[in-house]
Amino acid sequence: MTDAAARTNERNQIFRDLFSGKTPKRVPISNPATQDFAIQHAGLDLAECQWDLTKLEPVYDKFCQDFYTDTYPGGSIRIPSHYQILGSTPIVMSSSGFMQHPDVVGMLAEEYDQFIASPYDCIVETILPRLYTGFNGEPGKVAMTLAKAMRAQSDDLAYLGAIRGKMNAKYGFATMIGALTEAPFDFMADFLRSFKGISGDVRRYPDKVAAACEAVLPLMIKKGTLPNPSMLGYTFIPLHMAPYLRDKDFATLYWPTFKKLVETLASMGQNVQLFVEQDWMRYLDYLYELPENTIMRFEYGDAKVIKEKLGKKHIISGLYPVTLLQTGTKQQCVDKAKELLDILAPGGRYWWQADKSIIHLEASGPVVENLKAVLDYVHENGTY
Amino acid sequence: MIDLQLLTQAVGDLDENTILTMINDFVATNPSGEDAQKVVFACQQGMAIVGELFEKNEYYVGDLIFAGELLSKTIDLLKPVLSSVATQKFGSIVIGTVAGDLHDIGKNIFGSMAEAAGFDVYDLGIDVSPSAFVEKVKEVKPQIVGMSGVLTLAIDSMKNTVDALNEAGLRDSVKIIIGGNPVNEDACKQIGADAFTTNAAEGLKTCQGWVK
Repeated sequence: MTDAAARTNERNQIFRDLFSGKTPKRVPISNPATQDFAIQHAGLDLAECQWDLTKLEPVYDKFCQDFYTDTYPGGSIRIPSHYQILGSTPIVMSSSGFMQHPDVVGMLAEEYDQFIASPYDCIVETILPRLYTGFNGEPGKVAMTLAKAMRAQSDDLAYLGAIRGKMNAKYGFATMIGALTEAPFDFMADFLRSFKGISGDVRRYPDKVAAACEAVLPLMIKKGTLPNPSMLGYTFIPLHMAPYLRDKDFATLYWPTFKKLVETLASMGQNVQLFVEQDWMRYLDYLYELPENTIMRFEYGDAKVIKEKLGKKHIISGLYPVTLLQTGTKQQCVDKAKELLDILAPGGRYWWQADKSIIHLEASGPVVENLKAVLDYVHENGTY
Repeated sequence: MIDLQLLTQAVGDLDENTILTMINDFVATNPSGEDAQKVVFACQQGMAIVGELFEKNEYYVGDLIFAGELLSKTIDLLKPVLSSVATQKFGSIVIGTVAGDLHDIGKNIFGSMAEAAGFDVYDLGIDVSPSAFVEKVKEVKPQIVGMSGVLTLAIDSMKNTVDALNEAGLRDSVKIIIGGNPVNEDACKQIGADAFTTNAAEGLKTCQGWVK
């Protein structure tokens, strides 16, 4: 067996242990920096490289070489090609080259009843043409646009997959598979009604919001299902709107279908990783109700309180503030990692990830050195 | 005459039906510009209640967004009867989401609250380059510049914007506040801003303190 294959086996075992509630031999680490960061770290142009993926193999090689990580650091990528072909409005590139999600309206308030009656039909017939300009026009033209976009996406994904395969073979990362879905309420907000729209709907027609979340739940379950639940991996659910709701709106509109989503996925035998975005401290008792070994990557919160309330049942991650890497000294950055290890590692169920992804690199700044120091520190000192 | 106290309370409660009924009935009486001013003031007081409830964690960001929507609806209804009088302004602010970032929800909340509090708000939109901030500051000479962002890259863009204002010799003519998910005290110092906030209501108070 090669060294890299042995490392993959070792890392897979660490994650199998972690995800099943056993205490692994050490704290696993995922580099929070993304492909965007990697491109800038290689000194290349962010926008250009996302259009010309042939430039990316040396980018990833340097990225994997320079920063310690147990998982492949190329997750969560929005490839611009198919979005551009589709005339996407919900996912677009900014002047910095970073692909982002502006606040868009895919469904009008008066379309709730149509959506509730048949979410899939409403998405295909009404919402997609509104969000993607390429779906407007003659059927033949729309079909061509769709075919071109799907071909571009599948070519790009295959290319990125080949790079991933090479890096895994060389560096021996854990081989994890992922699916992605959203809490029904978040899906309604992010792609259908917009942040602004849903904020009004919650007060104007809460019953319709609740019914729409129920109606779309089966689609969210389907989207979040892994090809085979026994595979090492998880369904990633980035959470969005709950911190912006009043407690009673959360309890009646957000929580019921979100809980069903996580319970259904867990009952199929797969792990779920939540990105607990923004401040969820007032909802910790709710989170406690979710199935055992749900992975919760927190953006904010008191690590001690989180560990105490959830740390015996769930897998805690996140909380490391990446902005410190931009503003702190190396010692401050390492001290913070130590502080979180001391609180979160004892007793197991801890995975080192940061509070957010690092998507940007100011070449003259301290992030590269600080990030290296933190990842190396946790690698060398990450015992439970 | 419209019951101003009731209106203030309805705005504080975010009671859309009551607010719109009261304003529509008021406009139908063909009121004077001065009376319309009093109605605007009552709405501003209602928005202050919204801000207080937000600080007490009874309202959350979704409520602030809804409040902003109600207020702009209200002002639109009042515009025909307001046009005859000059409105009193407390100061002016140039705001925008900094270069590379497309997130504008927080900026829009702050903008509508600042407008409700009587500021002239010049909103440059999203993905705003440092030079666009500089040009607008030259043009309208605001007391305050507000920079917003959600992504961590916003920190670097905010710094570049402050540097650009410095180079243009404009830095000392304005107070600068930064807002959004990644800002904190350290980032504020590094950027060279005068204040930071992750809370629109608190940010507005800071701005009000500056123009007193």
